[in-house]
Amino acid sequence: MFKLSPEGIEFVKKEMVRYETKLSAVIPCLYRVQDENEGWISPECVAYLSRLMDLGESEIYEVLTFYTMFNQKPVKPLHVQVCCNVSCAMQGSRKILEELKKQNNSNVTLSAVECLGSCDTAPVLQINREPYMEKVSLEQITKTLQERTSS
Amino acid sequence: MEHKLLTEHYNKDNYKSLEGYKQCGGYETLKLALNKQPKELVEMVKASGLRGRGGAGFPTGVKWSFLPDNNEPRYLLCNADEGEPGTFKDRMMMEKAPHQLIEGMIISAFAIQSHKSYIYIRGEYTDSISIIEQALKEAYKQGYLGKNILNSGFDHEMDIYVGAGAYICGEETGMISSLEGKKGQPKLKPPYPAVKGYLEKPTVVNNVETLAAVVPIVRDGAEKYKAIGTERSAGTKIFSVSGNVVKPGNYEVPLGYPLMDMINKLCGGLPPGRKLKACIPGGSSAPVLTAEECEKACLDYENLMDLGSMLGSGAIIVIDDSNSMVDILSVIMHFYHHESCGQCTPCREGTGWLDQIVKNILHGKGRLQDLDLIQNISQHMMGKTICALSDAAALPAISFVTKFKNEFIDYIQQNKISSDNLNQVV
Amino acid sequence: MKKMIKCTINNYPVEVEEGTTIIQAFKKLEQEIAHYCWHPGLSIAGVCRLCMVEIEGNNKLQIACNTVVQDGMVITNQSQKVKDTVRWGLEFHLINHPLDCPICDQAGECVLQEQYMKFGAYQPLMSEDKVKKRKVVDLGSKIVLDTERCILCARCTRFTDEISKTKELGIFNRGDRSEIGIFKNKPLENDYALNTVDICPVGALTSKKFRFQQRVWYLKKAPSVCTGCSTGCNIDVYYNEEGLWRIRPRHNSSINQYWMCDKGRETFKHVNPSGRLKSSFRHTAEQTEKMTTFQALQTLKLDSKKIGLVLTGSYTCEEYDAFLDFFQLHSIYHWKNNPKNFEDYDNFLIRGDKNPNTKGLLESINKRQLKLEDCTQLEQNISHLDLLIVCAPENHKLYPCLEEKINLFLKSKELVWISPHSHTLLQKPINTVWTIPSKTYFEKTGTFINHHGTRQKIKAVASIVDSARSLEEIIHILKTGQTDLTQIASIRDKMKTNYFMEQKGSL
Repeated sequence: MFKLSPEGIEFVKKEMVRYETKLSAVIPCLYRVQDENEGWISPECVAYLSRLMDLGESEIYEVLTFYTMFNQKPVKPLHVQVCCNVSCAMQGSRKILEELKKQNNSNVTLSAVECLGSCDTAPVLQINREPYMEKVSLEQITKTLQERTSS
Repeated sequence: MEHKLLTEHYNKDNYKSLEGYKQCGGYETLKLALNKQPKELVEMVKASGLRGRGGAGFPTGVKWSFLPDNNEPRYLLCNADEGEPGTFKDRMMMEKAPHQLIEGMIISAFAIQSHKSYIYIRGEYTDSISIIEQALKEAYKQGYLGKNILNSGFDHEMDIYVGAGAYICGEETGMISSLEGKKGQPKLKPPYPAVKGYLEKPTVVNNVETLAAVVPIVRDGAEKYKAIGTERSAGTKIFSVSGNVVKPGNYEVPLGYPLMDMINKLCGGLPPGRKLKACIPGGSSAPVLTAEECEKACLDYENLMDLGSMLGSGAIIVIDDSNSMVDILSVIMHFYHHESCGQCTPCREGTGWLDQIVKNILHGKGRLQDLDLIQNISQHMMGKTICALSDAAALPAISFVTKFKNEFIDYIQQNKISSDNLNQVV
Repeated sequence: MKKMIKCTINNYPVEVEEGTTIIQAFKKLEQEIAHYCWHPGLSIAGVCRLCMVEIEGNNKLQIACNTVVQDGMVITNQSQKVKDTVRWGLEFHLINHPLDCPICDQAGECVLQEQYMKFGAYQPLMSEDKVKKRKVVDLGSKIVLDTERCILCARCTRFTDEISKTKELGIFNRGDRSEIGIFKNKPLENDYALNTVDICPVGALTSKKFRFQQRVWYLKKAPSVCTGCSTGCNIDVYYNEEGLWRIRPRHNSSINQYWMCDKGRETFKHVNPSGRLKSSFRHTAEQTEKMTTFQALQTLKLDSKKIGLVLTGSYTCEEYDAFLDFFQLHSIYHWKNNPKNFEDYDNFLIRGDKNPNTKGLLESINKRQLKLEDCTQLEQNISHLDLLIVCAPENHKLYPCLEEKINLFLKSKELVWISPHSHTLLQKPINTVWTIPSKTYFEKTGTFINHHGTRQKIKAVASIVDSARSLEEIIHILKTGQTDLTQIASIRDKMKTNYFMEQKGSL
């Protein structure tokens, strides 16, 4: 059974009174749940959050499925999100993504994402919710992933 | 020539701290503003000719004056959900000068007499989020936010709200829905946010750059701001240049600045040996310009509209002759298909349909009649939906297919099956 | 009184109240306008984008559902611009629709079909692959969902958000991947869930009980009033020569608006021939004697006896009046479906009083200044009675105390049971039991008074069991000893509309 940590529960309670309505707390609380559930939000998590916040499951599930930063499936410890929008695609980001797919790193989940808003430093990618890796080359990201996988 | 009205101190490392910001005259304008009448400030912004820098270009002061003249609580939302492909100016502004935004917001809030504001930042911008959070803490500590700001009697609370990955939340009513904790689907208009916005209360939504620009306007006076740029496009604008240029980046220039000067003088031109093929002047929703059109283009609202395109968010994507226009349109169509919120039928179904047709062409499965079909679908997606995402998908589709028709035909005919035969198969 | 303003719709001048939306004005004028998401009982979604109109002086087409009529507005949906837009709007709706009308239960009452025929009728241009979505999704015990047929008009989700306020349904994902659905393990089981099936313009939501039972074009519909409780929701009864098949709500702004409860939709089964009491019987410990209702009423001895009457709220005002005029000197007992929750109310439509006309019964009693005793009194008095006449509930299912009460009634020396249905307990009595078939609401004409005191007329649609008699008819026979029933207005009405059995096999 999924449960938030005591700090997580405290966080949810604070968020529920932070905004004008408690519904506004759904997005921040989903982030928290995702952080405490190895990077993804299971239906069980939704049911849990619905009880904790006293909101309908469907209400929360609608929000969960609308926003792409919430993962509805398990992700590996390194979620590599490669921008494949125009400026990055023009600088070879799709090629990097294809090559990374071939590497088949068991600790990595790969996603193509839309514009990350760093087009001057294309190609750009983001690992989990960390600061961007900019002007990234295949060699660079391969090395980074190898280092972080082994450590 | 660059005109660094907003970005003057962006190269200073400590400008993002409150101390550093104050050393450059930060929060002095707020003191000035708090001594004026709120209505005076609204008039000032109106007179300055400032137009929304997020994409729509609506006059900011006019937007403010739509608020009902009563004591109802009202909200100010800062749109920092920068998502228009090619745009990265708001991120820079938040990271380099968070206090400039906060000061601009407090002045704006005072002008519209709002006691609560939110900065809605897209979830991917982790750096911006932590920098703004830090800056808010500092501002509260020094009494720029909270009760009785600088002994003026004006109270204002400012908070941050983090999005979770949805382009449509950059549309002001989509953002309001999202802030209310729902799916970020745009709301029917009327009523407009100024009358019924966040939680059905009067709400003003302004872009990061717009709110920051309020500071120099109030500091230097409307006249001075209005004198910059062209007659109807006043002031400076930060342009995000990316694609095939030697020095991509953000450049602040007066509105009306020639596009080719931007590309050649400020951005160092195209990579050696490449030729300009096309340019998207205002983010991926803006109709593409051909190389010839680029020669005539000046970066202001009117000039680009005359050329059949738009200034949008000021995201310039420079495309050289090494690129395939079919491929680029396919990327753009995939984006709008992916980001359509799914409420309105023409957009929900049209974006997916366009995406599929362009992909088919790209993969050698296109038919000649697809080019007319793209035009037809796009025409009937425009002006038919709650928000402008449908138009944003249709406009580039039409312009790419019209202006680079031969390239599309090449893709279609390369696959050797004549389209007549294909017709029979279908 | 609201201010009236003038406007012109498709060249017809019309006056509407200030604040009226264009689509309401179109409806008022009975001008056709395409729409899916707009529903008069729900909030405005404005998402199907079909109700486009052209307003003089405005270059951009507007949606009629979210545009308020202004004084002097000249509005049309007949221009080529509007027609093209609506045609394309339909094309957009249909590109990912499976077009499986031949196997779709909604066919015949599908708004998508209707509007395609009215406003579409184009050559489809879509030759690309359709988006695949989930089919035959189980939403609970009542409803099945086909997400491919769904056009995402959001009527059902607005219903569960705004009307039932139960919020089971949501639209998940975005863009053309959007799907209506429930969150796992939280089925759509609220008391009003089947309204979502009614308002679904396509075959996305279908009722498990009704689907695949009948093609709707073989059904007739007749207006009536729900007999499931004292709210008196207005209904349409769908039937053919084989019987009744379903009940749907009919709009009445002061009673049920556009809705009804799911239990009310079940109140047609007891009307159908199977299980009905089809002639009169006299049951004794030794034997069962079958006879016509006329014979039974002739044989029944009512003179100089101590008679007790048990009445339920199932009958019409006219029946009570006739009955009480005849029997007014006797002790009368009120049999309630469940005294404990008789006054319950769910603050919407469902009431604990499971009778359509309890108010009418009370009115008839009060008019005659009679005393209506509670059924509990009967327990003490029953041994003193010679004869007990029970006007039993029309729909036995709504009376959980049925068997307990029958056992009580059987203690009387002689029992007359008037009801559309018999009961096994009645068929092997110690004393004498008469069972006399009565008519259901579908077979008689009369008045019901609902909980709020609103009088509503119902009209006989057809006769289903020939030997069944209304209380009025029973009293007529008892009074006159005649079978000629044409004297009674309600019976004449019945005869005019009696095509139910005659039509059998004609299709």
